Amino acid sequence: MASPNAAPPRAAARSLRDQPAAHLIAESRDDQAILVLHDVTKTYPNGKTALRDVDLVIPEGDFVFLVGASGAGKSTLIKLLIRDEIASKGAVILDGLDLARLNRREVPRIRRKIGIIFQDFKLLPTKTVRENVGFALEVTGTPRRQIGPAVERVLALVGLSAQAAQLPSQLSGGEQQRTAIARALVHDPRLIIADEPTGNLDPLISWEIIQLLSRINELGVTVLMATHNAEIVTALRRRVVALEDGRITRDELGAAYHRED
Amino acid sequence: MLSFVAFSLRRAWQGFWRNAVMSIAATATMVLMLVLLSAFFVVLSGLDAGLQFVEQKVEVVAELRDDAPDLKISQLQADIAALPEVQSVEYIDKATALAQFKQRMAEQGREDLTQYLDANPLPATLNIKLKDPHEFGSVVSTLRARTDVVATVEEVQNLVDRVLTVTNVLRTGGLVLLGLVGLTVLFIIVNTIRLAVVARAEEIEIMRLVGASDAFIRWPFIFEGALVGLLGALITLVLLALGAAPLSNLATRFFEILPLELGSLSRNLAIIVLATGIGLGTLGSYVSVRSYLLK
Repeated sequence: MASPNAAPPRAAARSLRDQPAAHLIAESRDDQAILVLHDVTKTYPNGKTALRDVDLVIPEGDFVFLVGASGAGKSTLIKLLIRDEIASKGAVILDGLDLARLNRREVPRIRRKIGIIFQDFKLLPTKTVRENVGFALEVTGTPRRQIGPAVERVLALVGLSAQAAQLPSQLSGGEQQRTAIARALVHDPRLIIADEPTGNLDPLISWEIIQLLSRINELGVTVLMATHNAEIVTALRRRVVALEDGRITRDELGAAYHRED
Repeated sequence: MLSFVAFSLRRAWQGFWRNAVMSIAATATMVLMLVLLSAFFVVLSGLDAGLQFVEQKVEVVAELRDDAPDLKISQLQADIAALPEVQSVEYIDKATALAQFKQRMAEQGREDLTQYLDANPLPATLNIKLKDPHEFGSVVSTLRARTDVVATVEEVQNLVDRVLTVTNVLRTGGLVLLGLVGLTVLFIIVNTIRLAVVARAEEIEIMRLVGASDAFIRWPFIFEGALVGLLGALITLVLLALGAAPLSNLATRFFEILPLELGSLSRNLAIIVLATGIGLGTLGSYVSVRSYLLK
């Protein structure tokens, strides 16, 4: 028999540690925030500090541009959001869950609430468009008969129904990125994270992708897009969060790529 | 659960064929290594059979008193035969011993000197074969205690020790060599499968990013590794079966004096090849995928 005296002190210690996070979780629920970063610092094992004291609240349905030079901490921030890395200090709370407290086995569940899009698309070259999109459902244990309709629905949304049977190598860059967006959407995520989604695309195609992301945002999905594309950011006049040397130096609504004041 | 297994098997099958080049390379490596391992196993089995054959030549010989009555001799023979460590007891009477001696002399082309003797000088003997050549102690002491029948017991200690030293060295050497070959096979197969998994690092990364649980990532790869192992083992067995007939024709003349049972050898070999193939395929995949899931 386990000693009944062993449990309470441990539980007490846990709840003490949990207190600040619990407070933030409650707050994030009140504000309908999908994402809250509180005082987040990330120092890598090699001693390099990529993020310092970052505070960020993203309400449900927001469209946020994350801008900043290479090495400013954008990639680290995204890694923290998908729990590829864990914050050294502070709390990252996604949809009411504190990612640092998350059991390793619960990580996949959190990732299904997020759709991720990359600069290099990350499509599987041996699978068709339909299979690439279905793959996200297949490997998360969705019953097969539900996969087909879900895939057709998102392919229609991104306008790729006609290319469903083609391989990525037969598609243009824009079509490949739309396939990746379809794959990110097929789980019905609450948040889309796009890491330089237009980095490999020419300006016209980039605009197509942005318009697609805006339409998805209008459907109620929160979008966080890291980008270098000043033209697009300035033209859209959305919320802009700028990172410099691991700190948030600007967080403005309806802003341009560069500081205007 | 059942649908998870079906999913994993289906994905393993797809993974195998969609990465045909790596799968075939891994399978070919598996076949080469298993053939190497089998060849070693066969050679060592032959060696072991040869050593057993030599060891069985060791026997305890008791020279009997000329005045021992037949009844007591047959009683002693029965007593010795009843000992658990004894395989067989052969009684050679004086006349037979003389006849065997004459035959040996004749075979060596020497003159038969016994004709000049007026009596048979050779003692009757009990020749005792042991199940295990180490265990001659109690047999020898039982024989020595029966002074009414037994004159002397030949000292076999030295002979046994020498034979066993040689055979043990050869056996240990063979096992060490088999161990080394086994380790080589292990590393090469695990590494080949690792290459096949590394080639699909992006697929694993995507699975992680879209929220696949570890089990959904791991099991298809493990089944795929097992499939490579199974296929490699089956091809190896086919190759061995094809090669067995000409090889055993060659070897029969050598092996016919040996207590080598080809039936049980090939059964053991089949089990070893299958177990090694599937085991290493599975292990290789498990180890390789693990390094991606640990993050």
